[in-house]
Amino acid sequence: MYNLLVFIRKYSATIVFVLLELLCLIMVIQSLPYHNRKMAGVANSISGSIHTTTSNWADYMSLKSENEQLARQNALLLSRLTDVNSEYDTLITNDLYTYMPAHVINNSLDRYNNYILIDKGRADGVEPDMGVICDQGVVGKVINVTTNFASVMSVLNSYSVISGRFKDNQYVANVVWDNVNYQYGQVRDIPSHLIIEKGDTLVTSGFSNSFPPEIPVGTIESTDNDDNDAFITAKLKFTTNFSTLRHVYVVKNNFQTEIDSLCIQN
Amino acid sequence: MYSKLIRNILLFFGLLVMQLFICDNIRFGGYVKPCVYILFVMLMPFDCPRIKLMFNGFLIGMAVDIYNGTPGLNAAATVLVAYLRPYIISLMTRKPELEGKTYPSIAEMEIKWFSIYAALLLIIHNLTLFLLEAFSFRLFHQVLLEVLISVPVSLILIILFCYIIKPLK
Repeated sequence: MYNLLVFIRKYSATIVFVLLELLCLIMVIQSLPYHNRKMAGVANSISGSIHTTTSNWADYMSLKSENEQLARQNALLLSRLTDVNSEYDTLITNDLYTYMPAHVINNSLDRYNNYILIDKGRADGVEPDMGVICDQGVVGKVINVTTNFASVMSVLNSYSVISGRFKDNQYVANVVWDNVNYQYGQVRDIPSHLIIEKGDTLVTSGFSNSFPPEIPVGTIESTDNDDNDAFITAKLKFTTNFSTLRHVYVVKNNFQTEIDSLCIQN
Repeated sequence: MYSKLIRNILLFFGLLVMQLFICDNIRFGGYVKPCVYILFVMLMPFDCPRIKLMFNGFLIGMAVDIYNGTPGLNAAATVLVAYLRPYIISLMTRKPELEGKTYPSIAEMEIKWFSIYAALLLIIHNLTLFLLEAFSFRLFHQVLLEVLISVPVSLILIILFCYIIKPLK
């Protein structure tokens, strides 16, 4: 017993070190898998309220550009509305998707796995796996929901894969992030016989049920033309500017349960 | 006694504000992730017991983590730095040289000594932090590159911050 006490006294610093590191590691591992990510860390009352305050400030500072952006979007929507009115002369709508506006209150860009916190939660009808877009393009996918907040796995995440489609030739390819810069991603699995040129546009394919089709993803910057490979990879510039993200829309698929039940039957 | 406590509290919150609201917003192409908050561990007095050092490191690391929503990440790296700090100091200096000196700061040691000391601790910290964040060796070359770029930037910011807080002492 005495020897034990001497041992503890002698190595107390190392013991405390090991215990503290263990505690840290347990916390890291618990929060590691993106779907198990505990919202407690992000959306707890303290940091939640700080984030809301700081983002309120940032909102105020950028009111002017924000207004311009909203005005632009209004104009775009109005022009679409007139198109729609001329096409259909009925009030019955059978829309697959509905859009719910939300506010970004925290956003990260420089980690390997980036998440966005938005101010709409279960109380507003947000559920996991819903897509999130903004007027510029895709943003990410909801992975965790609390009563008033939701955390969104942004496209800038090493786990994120977006199903994209070339606007010109309708070929489908997967879009991932390049893990470095928030402006660029990679398009994987492009068949090598396809001729890809700089400036080609990629939109969402609509296959994932999270995103409606024809939402912009990005434009091609460059390709690696290795003739030996069956598939080529291209560098993509996202249309969404993730560093100035403020207003986003949560996409709700109105027939999700119906589609899911069909998938289960198969 | 109280002045020491107030100094530490001011330093704690000063570094936290600097880290969360300024440094975390600096990015040049995603490679630069400066961190200045470990200056809190660096500037603890020479005779500070190691356990106290580690708890202080844990506290400021955890504060950064709670704000960033990454529990344990920064805390783990900072505790490691706090644990290794006495070894680094004894590697760099012999006992008699430390006589009459309280803080390992620029004012009491030379700037050359402090730069090497800070750089060593920063390398340990950044390497641990980035590897833990990637949580695999899949991105190892990228982690190394980020450490190589981030450490000099952090070092410059830390030395600048030392001059800003000089009147505190």
